[in-house]
Amino acid sequence: MLSINNCQIQIEGCLITLPNITLEKGELLVITGPSGMGKSTFLHWILGDSIRHANISGEIMLNGVPLSGVNIEQRRIGLLMQDVHLFPHLNVLDNICFALPHRLKDEQGSKLSRRQRKDSAMQMLNKINMGYVAEHYSHQLSGGERSRVGLVRALANQPQALLMDEPFAALDPDTSAKVSQWAFSQLHERGVPSIMVSHDLNNIPSQAQHLDLANYFQQV
Amino acid sequence: MNNRLLAKSQLSPSNQLYSAIDLGLKSTAWVLVAIIALAPLFGVVIGLWPAAELDWAAISRFLGYNGLAYSVASTLLLSLVAPLIALYIAFMVYSQYRFNRRWQSLEKRLAPLLSLPHLAVALGLVYLFSSGGMLWSVLWGFVGQTAPEWLGLPRKSMLTMILAISIKEVPFFLLIFSAIGRQLAIKQWLLQGRALGYSESASWWLIVFPVVLKQSRLAVLAAMAYTLSVLDISLLIGPNIPELYAVVLYNWQTGFTPDEQTFAFLGNLLLIAMLGVLIACIYIHERLVTKQLANQAVMANPLNITRLSGVFTAWLGFFSLLTLAILATFLLWSLGWNTHSTFNTANWSTSLWQDEWFFMQGPLLNSLHIAFFSSILGVGVTLLALELQRHNKRYFPDYLWLLAILLPQLSMVYGWQIVHTSSNASYHSSWIILSHVPFTFAYSYLVLRGPFQSLNRHYELVAASFGYSPWQRWWKVRFMLLRPALLSAFAIAFSVSIAQYIPTLMIGAGRVATITTEAVAIASGNEQSITAVYILVQAALPFIAFLVASILAQRTRGSVDAEHQ
Repeated sequence: MLSINNCQIQIEGCLITLPNITLEKGELLVITGPSGMGKSTFLHWILGDSIRHANISGEIMLNGVPLSGVNIEQRRIGLLMQDVHLFPHLNVLDNICFALPHRLKDEQGSKLSRRQRKDSAMQMLNKINMGYVAEHYSHQLSGGERSRVGLVRALANQPQALLMDEPFAALDPDTSAKVSQWAFSQLHERGVPSIMVSHDLNNIPSQAQHLDLANYFQQV
Repeated sequence: MNNRLLAKSQLSPSNQLYSAIDLGLKSTAWVLVAIIALAPLFGVVIGLWPAAELDWAAISRFLGYNGLAYSVASTLLLSLVAPLIALYIAFMVYSQYRFNRRWQSLEKRLAPLLSLPHLAVALGLVYLFSSGGMLWSVLWGFVGQTAPEWLGLPRKSMLTMILAISIKEVPFFLLIFSAIGRQLAIKQWLLQGRALGYSESASWWLIVFPVVLKQSRLAVLAAMAYTLSVLDISLLIGPNIPELYAVVLYNWQTGFTPDEQTFAFLGNLLLIAMLGVLIACIYIHERLVTKQLANQAVMANPLNITRLSGVFTAWLGFFSLLTLAILATFLLWSLGWNTHSTFNTANWSTSLWQDEWFFMQGPLLNSLHIAFFSSILGVGVTLLALELQRHNKRYFPDYLWLLAILLPQLSMVYGWQIVHTSSNASYHSSWIILSHVPFTFAYSYLVLRGPFQSLNRHYELVAASFGYSPWQRWWKVRFMLLRPALLSAFAIAFSVSIAQYIPTLMIGAGRVATITTEAVAIASGNEQSITAVYILVQAALPFIAFLVASILAQRTRGSVDAEHQ
């Protein structure tokens, strides 16, 4: 469960006081609002990134553990951006292996070998019928393929929550609709609470929560 | 009749004349640019042409030359190890500075730090850290003792060479990484790496290094080619018996006996073969490292050892301090310090400067006018090369323009020397200027290409809409916006020319003395105080050029400079 309480965002003379947010397993929160209001900054704050141009305060709890003072690499929060930034020197399979947790173990409790890790990554790709891109590099993928591989990679890391910053904005409307539906079902299936910043409310599942930052804005 | 033919037939005679002139000018410009850019290759090819007939006896005499194998092996080792050490240190420094506030101050200081000549760094290390060096003398002086002989850096050794070159090349690689880094989404990659549970230092190595390494190939080759045939510092701080290969080859190249001439030719072939070995090593190293890092990435190894990079947070302070210490040491030596001095007992005086000034004026004026004209020409030809490519809408690969720094200097200058001698040309300084231009051109190209290509073409479009002609747009918009970058390029080209030793010596046949040739000649002897005077002047010239360039650049606000492409 991801909860964010008493959150205030102060950015360039405006103050946004958010209501308390609680996301159970598999739930999705969509954040909208005008440009420059701090939507992406809010995501980066949850991730644990250093924030330069805004002041954000509040408490973040992930599965009952407060995250204040915990650095990015220990938070177990995944990130998916518009450009998914697949690492260009690794092929798709190795990108996913890179995200698999270091201490991943097999059924006998021993650490996975290199072969097993690759098999495990391959299974993830095959599950979504994308095994054919395993040996491809980032520049050889289409936009839709890249987005899907990006999500598979983020999920391979077994995150406790996932943040998405307009992840499908670069896709054409048809692909965006298909990929986003697929992504939401994956997240729901795996029980990962997620927050997504988006401008497009057309392809959002009906059960998703919605927060429009403009409703909580005041001039200071 | 189609439109194009119609348009052609309607051209007035004056228009036809203009387009003929335009075509003629462009062709001439291309020829000029090609001559300068390809001169290094031309020199190497000429040097590979046998001067006399070869027989097996000569080849076996060459192969049996005393100490050749050792000389070649140690030079290869040096050329491989020193640049790679510099590359790794530079990457660790880059990873520590790139995303914090100190990056800007590092970037600002890079060019002046880069301008400190290799010779000054090499001799500075010896003056500071050798037995009887300034550092040990001062430290032991506090307790009234003399430092033991065994302590300190050997005056002439492989270790001293490796140290000098690896320390000196770090700012060069930082400059290259800075340019590469602007084109990569490093910040986002690191964020992804951290979101996936890796530490920042592990992310730098697992994600960024393989990409940066691949893109630094030419820079690594440039550093290796330089080390392979560097003569001045090999003469002064390189091992003695046997000497480094550059020294051996230079002795053959300047010898008069038929055997020496044959050896010079064969030695030149061997030098090119050594360059081939180094190129192969670059690829092997890159393959091994990227494969190893990819394996670590697949196994999600947290690479805790990478936290060691943190040590390099102090690099800027260390390097600045070292530079200051080197300059202070030379200054003190030039004012009366010697190996037996303490601060109290030294006879401080400026008499050495006054005495040497008389002898120094000629070399100083030579250095200044050679550096000034060769830099102006180098920067001018660079602008021409970039402009011609822009018109063609196609940029040629960098290695074609950077041949002067990718090929061994001894080979190319040897070829030029053969042509120069066989054409009975004089030993006037204008030939030296011409021999420096390929180098000033290559470095200017390295500095200017980024700002030139990234200049927003809309500025010129706006000027065109106001009715400005192409020439006016070029001068009033493009050139003006590029002024700070041009000044940086000029300062770098100037410092490159000041430090040139091989072309000055070989094309001038020793008859055109510059500060650098004089410094090397004096440093070969035992006159440490006089050497210090010349090295200080040699180091001061590029520094003054950078200072003037930065002052002038600050006056041209709103423009694009070399550091902000």
